Amino acid sequence: MSKIFDWQLVFTEIPLLLKYLPVTIQLTLIALIIGWVAGLLIAIVKIHRIPVLQQLCTLFVSVVRGTPIIVQLYLTYFGIPIFLKYYNFYNGTSYNVNGIPPIIFAIVALGLNQSAFDSETIRAAIQSVEKGQVEAAKSLGMNGLQIFFRVLLPQAVTVAIPSLGNSLIGLVKGTSLAFTCSVVEITAQGKILAGNSYRYFEVYCSLAIIYWVITIFIERLFTYIEKKMSVPEQIAEKKEA
Amino acid sequence: MSVVEIRGLCKKYGSNVVLDHVDLDIEEGDVVAIIGPSGTGKSTLLRSINLLEKPEEGTIRINNKEINLTTRSAKEKLELRRYTEMVFQQFNLFKNRTALENVMEGLTVVKKIKKSEAKTIAEKQLEKVGMGDRLSHYPRHLSGGQQQRVAIARALAMEPKLLLMDEPTSALDPELVSEVLVTIKKAATEGNTILLVTHEMNFVKNVANRIIFLENGKIVADGTPKQIFDNPDNERLKEFLVKIHMLENTEYAI
Repeated sequence: MSKIFDWQLVFTEIPLLLKYLPVTIQLTLIALIIGWVAGLLIAIVKIHRIPVLQQLCTLFVSVVRGTPIIVQLYLTYFGIPIFLKYYNFYNGTSYNVNGIPPIIFAIVALGLNQSAFDSETIRAAIQSVEKGQVEAAKSLGMNGLQIFFRVLLPQAVTVAIPSLGNSLIGLVKGTSLAFTCSVVEITAQGKILAGNSYRYFEVYCSLAIIYWVITIFIERLFTYIEKKMSVPEQIAEKKEA
Repeated sequence: MSVVEIRGLCKKYGSNVVLDHVDLDIEEGDVVAIIGPSGTGKSTLLRSINLLEKPEEGTIRINNKEINLTTRSAKEKLELRRYTEMVFQQFNLFKNRTALENVMEGLTVVKKIKKSEAKTIAEKQLEKVGMGDRLSHYPRHLSGGQQQRVAIARALAMEPKLLLMDEPTSALDPELVSEVLVTIKKAATEGNTILLVTHEMNFVKNVANRIIFLENGKIVADGTPKQIFDNPDNERLKEFLVKIHMLENTEYAI
């Protein structure tokens, strides 16, 4: 009888899974950038209470936060083709749904999901900067953009970093659902490998190890960034600016 | 000719009139103190001049340039703010920047001065307020008095035509007040034009050359410290001075 649990396989499969790590990283990074940029825009809309847009953003955030990510992946996977069909029908165009690489669906869904969660973090972080500093900047004669990029954003980032790190970790793990959009990343590859060998448990052990290591790396990275960006506890010794 | 001429400044919050057609001329090198009971629009007057509040009416002529205080033009707002600088009650230093960077910020970002030059100016200004040995300290590592001195250096570095000071010592521990007052006095003797809201009556008496008593959004009395403190001719002013124990005339003492 073959072994009940094949220890070796857990480790020999890791390199095979890692071949698809670039897909996981690609999914994560692009969704992250979409998430931060869209999250920032949503935050700005909410802070400035821009009519109509504000209500739309609130609705969007509420829907995204109120539905599971796997449902969102299905919605984009099936929704974008339907939307394209309508678009083609009414505009007489002939965009081909099959021409869209499946990874786009996953990136859109993950990115929008990320933006909904990050927008609240970013909004709170920006609003945590004292109004007085904005007044001081105005009084110095800075314009809106200068105030935003030189006063608000640097301080907001310091506040937001820990939460953004957490949400990034969530995103990395969320990419494991991208197989629902027929994207082959490490989890999907794991399923394929296991389908051949029927060693499901071993593959999932390998996957757990990989995700865990990635998460530890991200945690460390964000702790480092947080430390770098925050005002030092101790008074610096004669450091020249 | 006056450096600053304010005409018909009005500010309301809802139906509450805070400033009621205030006219004010300030000569170059003047140190003008605004006194008055709380809620009479002292701070609002200062903040309106810097457009941190939006007045309903009023014009200001500063540096021979007339600007409508209700202007919506970003360019005019920036121009007015470039001629005026504000020192706040709560200091409002940029918390993520060192003392030196705080003073350099306006110079490099607004005035577009080269970094090396800005650094020289900033160091000189910080030296003047006695903070030359705290250049790389962050605000959280400074006491309130030190933070306020950095804030004064930050404002003076911009070489404003008019320096606005909104209760600069009100948020300080009593023992830290004098170091800031000394700094303000120094700025005054160096010829800066200052408009100051404060409750430090002895300081006002010594440093200001003109005092304005504001009540219910109107300038009720306007004169030298001698006229205001020694010969108040306005009943309301007398009452105010009695309340803050500045009038030695026993006739009014309780």
